[in-house]
Amino acid sequence: MATRMFGMPVQRTEDERLITGKGGYLDDLGAGAYAAAFVRSPHAHARVRDIDVTGALDVEGLVAVYTHEDLSGPMAEPLPLLIPHPAILDGRTPYALAKEYVHYVGEPVVMVVARDRYVAEDAVGRIAVDYETLDPVVGIEAAARAERVVHAGMSDNVAAHLVQEVGDARAAIAAAPNRIELDLDIERSACTPMEGRGVYARWDGRDAMLRLYSSTQTASGVRAAVAAKLGLQLGQVEVVVPDVGGGFGVKIVHPWPEELMVPWAARALGHEVKWAEDRREHFTAAAHERAQRQHVTVGFDDEGRLLGLDVDILHDNGAYLPYGIIVPIVTSTQLLGPYKPGAYRVEFRSLYTTTAIVTPYRGAGRPQGVFAMERTMDAIAAHLGMDRADVRAANFIQPEEMPYDQGLLFQDGRPLIYDSGDYPASLEKIKKLVGWDDFTAYRDAARAEGRKVGIGLACYVEGTGPGPYEGGHVQVETSGKVRVATGLTTQGQGHQTALAQIVADELGVPMSDISVTTGDTRRMPYSVGTFASRGAVMSGSAVALAARRLKEKALRIAADALEADAEDLEIVDGRVQVRGTPSAGIELGTVAVLSNPLRYAFDEASKAATQFTGAADYTRPPVAADDEPGLEGTDFYSPLRSTFASGMHAVVVETDPETAEIRILRYCVVHDCGKLVNPLIVEGQVHGGVAQGVAGALYERMEYDSGGQLLNASFMDFLMPYASEVPKVEIDHLETPSPLNPLGIKGAGEAGVIPGAAVIAAAVEDAEGFAITRMPVSPSELFHLRRRFDKGGIAPLPGAYSRTGEANA
Amino acid sequence: MEFLSPATWEEALAAKSERPDAVPIMGGTDVMVEINFDRRRPPALIDLTRVPGLREWRADGDGVRLGAGVPYTGIVDALGGAAPALAAAARSVASPQIRNRGSVGGNLGGASPAGDAHPPLLATDAVVELASVGGVRRVPAREFYLGPRRTARRDDELIAAVLLPAPAGPQRFAKVGTRNAMVIAVVSFALALDARSRTVGTGIGSAGPTPLRAPGAEEFAAAEFDWEGGAPLPESAVHRFGELVAAAARPIDDVRGSAGYRRHALAVLARRALARAAADYREGGARCA
Repeated sequence: MATRMFGMPVQRTEDERLITGKGGYLDDLGAGAYAAAFVRSPHAHARVRDIDVTGALDVEGLVAVYTHEDLSGPMAEPLPLLIPHPAILDGRTPYALAKEYVHYVGEPVVMVVARDRYVAEDAVGRIAVDYETLDPVVGIEAAARAERVVHAGMSDNVAAHLVQEVGDARAAIAAAPNRIELDLDIERSACTPMEGRGVYARWDGRDAMLRLYSSTQTASGVRAAVAAKLGLQLGQVEVVVPDVGGGFGVKIVHPWPEELMVPWAARALGHEVKWAEDRREHFTAAAHERAQRQHVTVGFDDEGRLLGLDVDILHDNGAYLPYGIIVPIVTSTQLLGPYKPGAYRVEFRSLYTTTAIVTPYRGAGRPQGVFAMERTMDAIAAHLGMDRADVRAANFIQPEEMPYDQGLLFQDGRPLIYDSGDYPASLEKIKKLVGWDDFTAYRDAARAEGRKVGIGLACYVEGTGPGPYEGGHVQVETSGKVRVATGLTTQGQGHQTALAQIVADELGVPMSDISVTTGDTRRMPYSVGTFASRGAVMSGSAVALAARRLKEKALRIAADALEADAEDLEIVDGRVQVRGTPSAGIELGTVAVLSNPLRYAFDEASKAATQFTGAADYTRPPVAADDEPGLEGTDFYSPLRSTFASGMHAVVVETDPETAEIRILRYCVVHDCGKLVNPLIVEGQVHGGVAQGVAGALYERMEYDSGGQLLNASFMDFLMPYASEVPKVEIDHLETPSPLNPLGIKGAGEAGVIPGAAVIAAAVEDAEGFAITRMPVSPSELFHLRRRFDKGGIAPLPGAYSRTGEANA
Repeated sequence: MEFLSPATWEEALAAKSERPDAVPIMGGTDVMVEINFDRRRPPALIDLTRVPGLREWRADGDGVRLGAGVPYTGIVDALGGAAPALAAAARSVASPQIRNRGSVGGNLGGASPAGDAHPPLLATDAVVELASVGGVRRVPAREFYLGPRRTARRDDELIAAVLLPAPAGPQRFAKVGTRNAMVIAVVSFALALDARSRTVGTGIGSAGPTPLRAPGAEEFAAAEFDWEGGAPLPESAVHRFGELVAAAARPIDDVRGSAGYRRHALAVLARRALARAAADYREGGARCA
């Protein structure tokens, strides 16, 4: 039996190609295409009075200029609201080009097509748009106050309002022996993938076919959306996703205005058109996330057990709502983490502001939810003078209570039922890994040297792998090579490796014989997309099921050829053989030949399948009525519900007593995503996620001024952490299999980022002795918090400086 | 936009004389950012990369004459001893790629108050050499910065070099940035002790409309410092020095930090710099005295 590949830390097979510059990204394609550029609104809120393009018309190399007036039919209508929900009160979406109003700086108003991008940008610079500026609405407070409204025809800025309740939380809180209220605040950040958005379209007028390349997280979604807008049949549109330089959520949004305008213009002009986003466009005109204000009221008993939890969330969704209210739904459901909340009530209002749209960014509302819950846990511990880990343990759902129904509806519209998990075991592991019980001594020793150190802990549960489905197609070529296709897309997750590992085991072929294609509607038209940590769960399961179908067929055909019982056959190293008698066997490639009865021979191997040389059975047609030619298997995986991965992070920080600079000394992770397909890839995902968690906690923010201008729209001023800021990550795994899918796996893509803000806030709080309620926190902000604390403007934590290791103290 | 590419220094000076609105460019680490961000559309660029000599440095009396185009990498590699504060600042500039291209001439030309080279030039009393078709003139760095991005350089002049006096005592440079590397300083500070003249030099970056000095702090420290033995300064004196440096700053609130934090951090950097320079002074007593 060959080595099982599932679970092995296999080096990623795509990396050599990608890190040696052999990747093919969107902008590497279409050298002969016309280039598009966009005139974008310089105002956060304005009415377009007039557009004067005459200045651009004599630019040498200009091909076309388009405004909303040039659009008709579905293209002239607002873009779709992708995920409708009954809680949406007034769902506004943008136009492909602004019609009358603009609602954020960067909104596309005019499209220019030219010989190359230089010419296009020159023409953009000569187009004069006359705006009547209107009042901007920036920030949650202004949006909630609604003295100014973002969208004409609305009386306030509330896009959606949702209340979910399990039990009577307010009554439970009122009756509880202890009660705390917290006001929490998280700022905007963004995915900022290395490669921005990009679209390249080829219209073939003779075949009436559109080929669209897009740097997207969903090929099938883009295909359907573009077909609908351009009035094409699905069969007339092929979407191919090239190598993608990161997505992290922002590229699941579709169709972008540019994603419609580029193919529309390609068809109108009968010429290839391409647009590759620049960094400034990405900052201002793509999407952001995270910004929320939360008011938490919690009632609890003297052991720290939650009796009632009431959370009120104000969520900034930016100028439009194209992706619906997935983010605040995720926040309000995933907030519960590994805990039993007692009675729970959560209410959110999703608010329009005149800023870039807000759509899922890795973590997708969970970092905010975890921030709310974990800040609450720490506040309870401080209130009761309890060890923070003990308060968490007192509230855990126990392994024997699984599956556990939280009584809410999750973001996939299905019940929020945790499938499996062992939270007490995770807590023990993380405490051991970070040395939780010994930290008091370390902190005291550090303090004696004039140093400030603190430790934090944060737990999360992450719904991963939501449906509705993904498909897998596996085909054995007559060469014996195996081609695997799944519809969802790849942005660096290592799908080529992980899916090949799964197929290698299922089929018994070496990984080197397997190639994997993702995100190409020509190979797998039925698909959803890559988001919500669903790649491995959904496509992993789908390709496993498809490979099983193929294997069944291969064994059936080989059994005929070998005159053996299919049950006695196995596939080893690409060869079907009789178990125990390996000399009696047939190559999988030959089985592929036999699977496809031929009239014509084209090489030596195919002769075996022709009418006069193949084995003939005159009682049966060459292809049976219930069979089909070829050695292929297609199957789809559609889960009952999401799987729920979980984890716990612990971090040790040091804050400079003078400059208030914050340094991470240790970062520990215990992670449970069920069965690991490839621990190397999972750890890589955790590392990347932690880097983005640190980013959101200490560095990244979107700095809008009150006029709605983004002040830090460059990598000079929007600070991502570098290798010099990302700590070494110490990881321990727990593998609690999911009972929901054939492989027992759960998603891992987002996990690392989720508790970042919560755990670092907890550690800074522990070092400083006063509550941290806003993230991110910069040295400048920490300095001002200290000042307020010194002047008595912030209350000290009740149990400050004695909040870990009480058992030992 | 016109692109002028002189092959000699004389041609460059002639070009600048004819087109005083032309912007000189070498590494492009500032100029290209401004052009890319559409903050600036100069009518012409003068490419100085072909002009011989700008990337060279040589001894000049006791000190060093540093060509305006010597990249920061060159300063780090060669001038750690001859210009310790400037070399320390050069080491902290951006990333290796930018240090390979960026130069002190560019910092002086752009005159952003956040330029890392300015505080050391102020603290060490360096001199800027300006040239035009009319001749050469030398302006002390301490008289060079006139206002926000305004300097003593006339429109027809190019920056030829910087004259760095030989150090006569310990020098220090430090900055606070939100990130450890590749970050525009929230605040920066340079300090130079001059045992020969028994003076103290300071330079403040990112905390005012121009790079600044703290003359009051300089005089105070020069008077308090034990120039014979470099005895540790009393805590109160170090603290006072920090206050005086902070008082000299004129910071604003912006994306990177508040004015209050900048003043505070500057005082911390100044205290640390003075205490460490005093320690250096004691250790290297024989060398420096």
